[in-house]
Amino acid sequence: MDFDGIFSIALLQRSLIYLMAATVGAFLWAPLLIKLLYKFKITRQAEYDFTLKDGERSSKVGTPIMGGLLVVLTVTIITLLFNWERANTYVPMGVMGISALLGAADDLLNIFGRKRRQRNIKHTLQLIKVHKIWYMKLWHILTLPWIAFGQLAATLGSHPGRGIQVHEKLLLQFLAGAVTAWWIYFKLGPQWHSLWLPFDGQPFLGWFIIPLVIFLVMFTANAVNIADGLDGLAGGSLIATFLGLTIISWALGRTSFTLLNATVAGALITYTYFNIKPARFQMGDVGSLGLGALLAINAMAINRTILIPVLGFIFYIEIISVVLQIFFRRILGRRLFKMSPLHHHFEFVGWNEEKIVMRFWVIHAFFVIVALWLALY
Amino acid sequence: MLSLKAQKLIDNYLSLPFPGVEGARCPYFNNAKLHARGQLRVLIGKGTPQEIVEEAKIISIQYRAGLFDHDGHCCLHGEHGEKPSIASPESGAAVTEAGADELRKFLIDHNLGVDCSGFATHILRAHFLETKGVDITKKFIKNISAPWWRKIIMRLRPMESLGVRSGYANDKNTEKLKNDYAKLQPGDVVVMLETGPAFVPTGLRRGEARKRNHILIITDCDGQKIKYVHARAWSSEGQYGHGVNSGEIKITNPGQGLLEQEWTERSPSQNDLFHQGQANETYLEAKQAKVLEIRRIKF
Repeated sequence: MDFDGIFSIALLQRSLIYLMAATVGAFLWAPLLIKLLYKFKITRQAEYDFTLKDGERSSKVGTPIMGGLLVVLTVTIITLLFNWERANTYVPMGVMGISALLGAADDLLNIFGRKRRQRNIKHTLQLIKVHKIWYMKLWHILTLPWIAFGQLAATLGSHPGRGIQVHEKLLLQFLAGAVTAWWIYFKLGPQWHSLWLPFDGQPFLGWFIIPLVIFLVMFTANAVNIADGLDGLAGGSLIATFLGLTIISWALGRTSFTLLNATVAGALITYTYFNIKPARFQMGDVGSLGLGALLAINAMAINRTILIPVLGFIFYIEIISVVLQIFFRRILGRRLFKMSPLHHHFEFVGWNEEKIVMRFWVIHAFFVIVALWLALY
Repeated sequence: MLSLKAQKLIDNYLSLPFPGVEGARCPYFNNAKLHARGQLRVLIGKGTPQEIVEEAKIISIQYRAGLFDHDGHCCLHGEHGEKPSIASPESGAAVTEAGADELRKFLIDHNLGVDCSGFATHILRAHFLETKGVDITKKFIKNISAPWWRKIIMRLRPMESLGVRSGYANDKNTEKLKNDYAKLQPGDVVVMLETGPAFVPTGLRRGEARKRNHILIITDCDGQKIKYVHARAWSSEGQYGHGVNSGEIKITNPGQGLLEQEWTERSPSQNDLFHQGQANETYLEAKQAKVLEIRRIKF
């Protein structure tokens, strides 16, 4: 691709201003957020944390969660005020909002909700058999696939707690992915019906792009969510990712996305400052699901879909480690890692938290550079 | 004698390889009551000693039992707030017998242990891999009749798929031997089918009585004595006394059946030697079994 004449110093200057504004803006209201989170007792509970390690991780109990609001709200406000374009930023912000709302509901229900029980297939079949009211019988028959899906999700490793359960989360994420797919397929133009590949590849996918987009939005959002398990890990890695996206958008001359990515990177700098161990707050699902979805949609919007696994390298490694662990555990009856996601494996091996986070940052930053290199071909 | 690797494996089951801890005998665990499906093999009574040790460490850290330090060495706490005794190979200190008992209690409370067929399969697999170069798990599952989808599961999880009846009492896998005790070899097995008490003990459903199968591995035989090892749970040993154990059958009536010989087995938890009779529950199981056979693996 010929980039001559596209690089705009003015756009770069503007994006840096957005970045700095987001950093400073987030710094200004971060103390208020921390105070509010403490006031309303939106803090980490030990009850459903199966990874707490004696002495180290137990100190995290009581730390506020939903710190991701700092990034989500800062980015939303700045974008609404200074970068609101129906053609470009409208849908990415909407999808981030849907995902963040889902995450927020999960975070809050995990703290304040009641413990939820899940009806299993056997019980539902029994109800179908014994119910005397025909419409109740019909209702149980119609909801059986959903119950089966829920049981499958529970079998594959989710711990039914107080929050939104995995199968419910997947349905809502599917909706967010579907909105993104609709936007990309019908609104962005025929260029997005082909998959951009580095080194001048452009295979035509047609409507196959729709399931791909839905899958990538869901997978990336969950990948970031899973990686958000150690202080500073998700935040620091996301800074590198969104800076990478800023540079690629700038190189492609996509003004709105350059500014949007720069804003996210700026807000993340402040978030990570407060999230470095010992964290003043943690991201929570509100931030990780929202920013994960935004990562995917922003990469797709600049037609660099294929680079999402490279730009989000550490997140993908983390989620793949979980998938592999489930496969090994459930199918082969053995553990591949001592514990998944991968960062917990290293904790078990004896690495301390700082070592894991910093090594993951360095590896992730390298792969963002690889993505930058690939994006320019 | 069994092969060196098989012998080492038995030693590891008799004293699990926790760093610096000696004498933590592997407990007995059978998945029949829990009916866990699609679970780690170590959690359904089919794990190797190493897997049991690793899982114990993971569970200890996960549930903050504090039995191990950061380097994975055993770190047992005294009952009344005494200083923990730390066992490390460097210091040369070993945890006491009481410590090993505490570890065993932890394993039993977290459903870690091995059942008789899991134990037998691991030992015999190691033995025949070394002596004949044959993986008996792969060989055995080929001869088990099952639907196609079950066959796939068996290929993926052979260790978990082999039971006493399906694997060892299967004529395609093993052959029945006559009571010519002089010709027995290490690696032969004693199979008991449909054994257990006739009444229904607590925890069992009606119809489950006399439905247990059991297996002993013959480790040595000189025509006078048959030495065996097995994983078993005697009711007299209570909740925490069971596990892998060894015993012997003295040939007092050559040419007669196994029940006519003299069975002795030491109970490590009761520290007593049990001869034939009601107290030796292995003999009792053999007596109650509908089928009691000595079998040899076919190659």
